[in-house]
Amino acid sequence: MSQDRIVTANSSGGKAGDEVLQWVTFRLENETYGINVMQVQEVLRYTDIAPVPGAPSYVLGIINLRGNVVTVIDTRSRFGLPFAEHTDSTRIVIIEAEKQVIGILVDSVAEVVYLRTSEIDNAPNVGTEESAKFIQGVSNRDGELLILVDLNKLLDEEEWDEISGF
Amino acid sequence: MSKSGFASEKVMRNYLSALLVDEDETALAQADKEKLRPVEKLLEKVNVIEQPPKAVPVEKQAVTTPERVLDKVEQAVAKELSKKEYRSGEFQALFFDVAGLTVAVPLTELGGIHRMDKLNQLPGKPPWFMGVMLHREEKINVVNSALWVMPEKYDENMENELDYQYIIMLDDSRWGIACGELVNTVTLSQDDVKWREQAGRRPWLAGLIKERMCALLDVSAMIELLEQGQDSGTGL
Repeated sequence: MSQDRIVTANSSGGKAGDEVLQWVTFRLENETYGINVMQVQEVLRYTDIAPVPGAPSYVLGIINLRGNVVTVIDTRSRFGLPFAEHTDSTRIVIIEAEKQVIGILVDSVAEVVYLRTSEIDNAPNVGTEESAKFIQGVSNRDGELLILVDLNKLLDEEEWDEISGF
Repeated sequence: MSKSGFASEKVMRNYLSALLVDEDETALAQADKEKLRPVEKLLEKVNVIEQPPKAVPVEKQAVTTPERVLDKVEQAVAKELSKKEYRSGEFQALFFDVAGLTVAVPLTELGGIHRMDKLNQLPGKPPWFMGVMLHREEKINVVNSALWVMPEKYDENMENELDYQYIIMLDDSRWGIACGELVNTVTLSQDDVKWREQAGRRPWLAGLIKERMCALLDVSAMIELLEQGQDSGTGL
């Protein structure tokens, strides 16, 4: 992913230091989430995911991506959401985090949005569950709340180690 | 609301009356008395000594009864609490309904009232965190008041009966508590409230409004608890 994806505020008329980042947005249940475009490698249509015996509960299985095995994470369960059947809109977003390439299954991918850092607020610092830790911030995007996800914290250190073995 | 529900008048009276005799307060009062025992003993000795002559007023001032010491302790606590604007003279409070329970908030600490709108769920938040509501440029963290205030009473029936209509904003924070109906605004005097002199287990409770037997919120304490992600402790 090249650096030209980061558009500085200076080039767009904003305040110095108010960096503009691009976020790929996706839907899960009724909410819209955003992930840093720099970490997104590609977006795939739903394809059969081969389950892996003995895999942790947060792993849906593996897919073959042009000869490479990619682990797909059960994003719904990670976000504390109930299971849902895949639809025509379901996508597997291939991302890179913690030096690993994994897939995350989402209900749909929406768009790429530009956000200034000044437009991002901290999420309320309540909740001790793992899923509270990967919420990087929230932003009001045209009257809709965009929840920004820190992909590096999607799994904890032990879990990242665990899936590196697949 | 069903007659058997928690909100029946009798239950509510018993419920709120229990607050007036707080275990912590009783324990603290007992602890104060324990502390004052040596003073009492000392005073007993002082009493044995011949009464000081009238011409020495300093001696009279030096003799301090346990009651006076207690008064001083209470005054110190009251001084801390009296920093709040509503702790002097008359003040106005907004009464609102939370699942059949009437709660009041001093108008000086009321940040605003919004109609309940679409809530955005954030993963990993505690059950009392209902979600984030967008209101113009604001992002309001909405609290399920019934669950936060009285978790021990919160069950499926209560959940089904909830009909949150408004969000009561806590001062100038991003926290808003959900409520069913706005009841009214009343001017209260200091004597209308049984003030909590010790924070105890429910620092969010400023006091109880005697006539209505309802809770008056200590907004700043509540904000602090919410910011720390804490629930109300033991509930009402």
